[in-house]
Amino acid sequence: MKNLSTQAENTWCPGCPNHMILESVKQTLTKLIESGKHKQTDFAITTDIGCHAKIFDYLNLSGIYCLHGRAIPTAIGMKLGNPNLKVLTFAGDGAAYAEGISHFIHAFKYNADMTLILHDNQSFSLTTGQPTPTSQQGYISKSAPLGVFDKPMNPIKLALASNATFIARTNARDIPHMVEIFTKAIAHKGFSFIEIIQDCLVFNINANNKDKQMYKIKDNTNKQTAEKLANEFDYNSKSGKIPLGIIYQSKEPTLEEKWPQLKTKLK
Amino acid sequence: MKLNIIIGGKAGQGINKVTEIVANILNKYGYFTFNYRDYQSLIQGGHNFNTLCIADFQIESHNAKADILVALDGRTIKTHKQALKKNGTIILGDQFKNEKRNLNIALAGALAKTLGIPLQELETEIKSQFKKSAKAILSAKKGYESQKTIYKLKKLKDSPLILSGSKAVAIGAKNSGLDLYIAYPMTPATNVMNELAKNQIKNNLIVFQCENEIAAANMALGASFAGAKTMTGTSGGGFDLMGEALSLQGISEIPLTIYLASRPGPGTGVPTYTAQSDLDIALRAGHGEFPRIVIAPGNPIETIEKTSEALFLAEKFRTLSIILSDKHLAESEFSSISKPAKTPAFKITRPIPGEDLVKNSSYETDKFGNSTESYTLTETNTNARMKKYNDMKKYIRKNFEMIKIHGNKKSKNLIVGWGSSSGAIKDAIKDLDTKFLQVLYCKPLSLQIKKEIEKADNVILVECNVTGQLGRLIREKTGIKIENRLLKYNGRPFHSNELKNLIEGMI
Repeated sequence: MKNLSTQAENTWCPGCPNHMILESVKQTLTKLIESGKHKQTDFAITTDIGCHAKIFDYLNLSGIYCLHGRAIPTAIGMKLGNPNLKVLTFAGDGAAYAEGISHFIHAFKYNADMTLILHDNQSFSLTTGQPTPTSQQGYISKSAPLGVFDKPMNPIKLALASNATFIARTNARDIPHMVEIFTKAIAHKGFSFIEIIQDCLVFNINANNKDKQMYKIKDNTNKQTAEKLANEFDYNSKSGKIPLGIIYQSKEPTLEEKWPQLKTKLK
Repeated sequence: MKLNIIIGGKAGQGINKVTEIVANILNKYGYFTFNYRDYQSLIQGGHNFNTLCIADFQIESHNAKADILVALDGRTIKTHKQALKKNGTIILGDQFKNEKRNLNIALAGALAKTLGIPLQELETEIKSQFKKSAKAILSAKKGYESQKTIYKLKKLKDSPLILSGSKAVAIGAKNSGLDLYIAYPMTPATNVMNELAKNQIKNNLIVFQCENEIAAANMALGASFAGAKTMTGTSGGGFDLMGEALSLQGISEIPLTIYLASRPGPGTGVPTYTAQSDLDIALRAGHGEFPRIVIAPGNPIETIEKTSEALFLAEKFRTLSIILSDKHLAESEFSSISKPAKTPAFKITRPIPGEDLVKNSSYETDKFGNSTESYTLTETNTNARMKKYNDMKKYIRKNFEMIKIHGNKKSKNLIVGWGSSSGAIKDAIKDLDTKFLQVLYCKPLSLQIKKEIEKADNVILVECNVTGQLGRLIREKTGIKIENRLLKYNGRPFHSNELKNLIEGMI
């Protein structure tokens, strides 16, 4: 088996939680590959543009390092091209919630059998800290010296409203939890969306250190409970709880099952 | 023998049915037809018309003046009376009011009789079109009996087939074994999507309509990466949105074929009309410098051939292929007895995910497929892209038809044109002392173009745009400026008689 690591020089900041996300992905996939369930070549990744996306260079997996905002449609294209690929998409809060928001919403509708791992640090960090749709009100940055006026978007609520079949949240500082959630998300039949709450050590540091607000929930399949859970964290205030775990899971026909032409190709 | 028939009415009244019935009969009867469709961007009402041109020889255009005017409503008479020739015939829809929804069938009958087609031919066609044909046949007969025969068309030997540019793209794609067509609807590109969607299960392909053109182009790249033969298609506005994905194609080298069907811009422009005004964006859209192929067929047979070539070349050179068409070629109905050349067959043999480890990137990459900012690799990779374009040029110049020469090949007069104007040009120069150089490959350009222009004493550029985009391209590549230009940019294609008069005045 080929190693999941590459020769590429890691250029994330020292101490950046992305290192822990990378480790969790490697642990998850190593288990899946070693168990004989999947081959390393069964996986294909798409990454967006931003700090998170550098993971493309650090994973020895097939994939496309996409354009900003387009990691999701490119991944869905892969599933249309070969429904047997195990596709993982990595995107940031800027990438998926700003530039690629239309794709984010439609992805739930198509329900392709793939996984979206979303690194949410509430900041466009690689471009030096401009606010994203989930940045809190009052966040001051070079491009917004007057502070962010708008209330942040709640992507979990948006995903629920878009008929998501799998929504989970995890913490970038908690490798075992990430591995658990990633594993469940990959096993889910349909489009699984994981939001990782992540600190940026350089930009929007006021949004950091939310661990005390976080608590773990049991896997949930009830929509009303999911809506309640989604409302607990508004991405804005330092009060309120942040539920971690599977916020919602349901079963709906996948893209690969809905299209007869794809269904016949499924192994 | 050449007749021009204008068939007009409100949207929803069924002018296309009249045309279809009569054109089908005529083709089976041995005649060539060309049907120009002029319609507005609305669902019901307004004024739409078709110009159905009939000849006992191959035609690829229509005339402005009509021999027969079929009017489904009063507005048609008002609008087109000026276009009717001196002894022209008017067939009024009003006389078949009682036929209600079958008005169009009655008019088809009336038109068939006017042309002198036997009743039996009409009945056969109606039967083949309608499952429950008894009432339709009655209406057709009523129409037939109401008219006098004016043109006694004799049965001819040929049996041409009717084909639109849109159908031709679909045929070319199917011939090449297309797996996926991913698109967002936009006139006049949508008919390709509809055409492929119709029999997608039977043809074992998928037509996927996604959220926008940005998604369409990026999905197409994802699917192509995964090993599927993939195409996307759109018109100018959607193509603008695809620009970033074109650029991604350039660096990632994932094969991509795009069908671009133009209409007059800028902006929403005149959405259901025609223009050859998007050659510039086909040649240049997308940031950075990277290779591409732009092919502009001029009729459906060429469209079948060139669509297959585009798909073949995209895969062979892992490049971007653009098939450039427009509303006039996409939606006009041509009839022809020619057969398309054999399709270059191909299989995907490059490494694909699922079997191999494949990394493609929007960043400049090293040999492992990982991002690099190295100045040496940036330069090396750029050189590799340019070398690839040179290889593409050589291959295409050796293997594919990049230009065509029509008309009097010895003439010192030369018309230069491309795409959907070609039909009108070919028909216009039939009796004139001129040759016509039709450019099929706009990128790369044929080296023959410079030689042909240098050989000629009098060169005239013909295009449906205001700046002479092909002319500018030729000037860029050859240094030759074509001074004489016939440019039309009112959303309507050239009529062959109009063009003939214009050319006559210049040679």
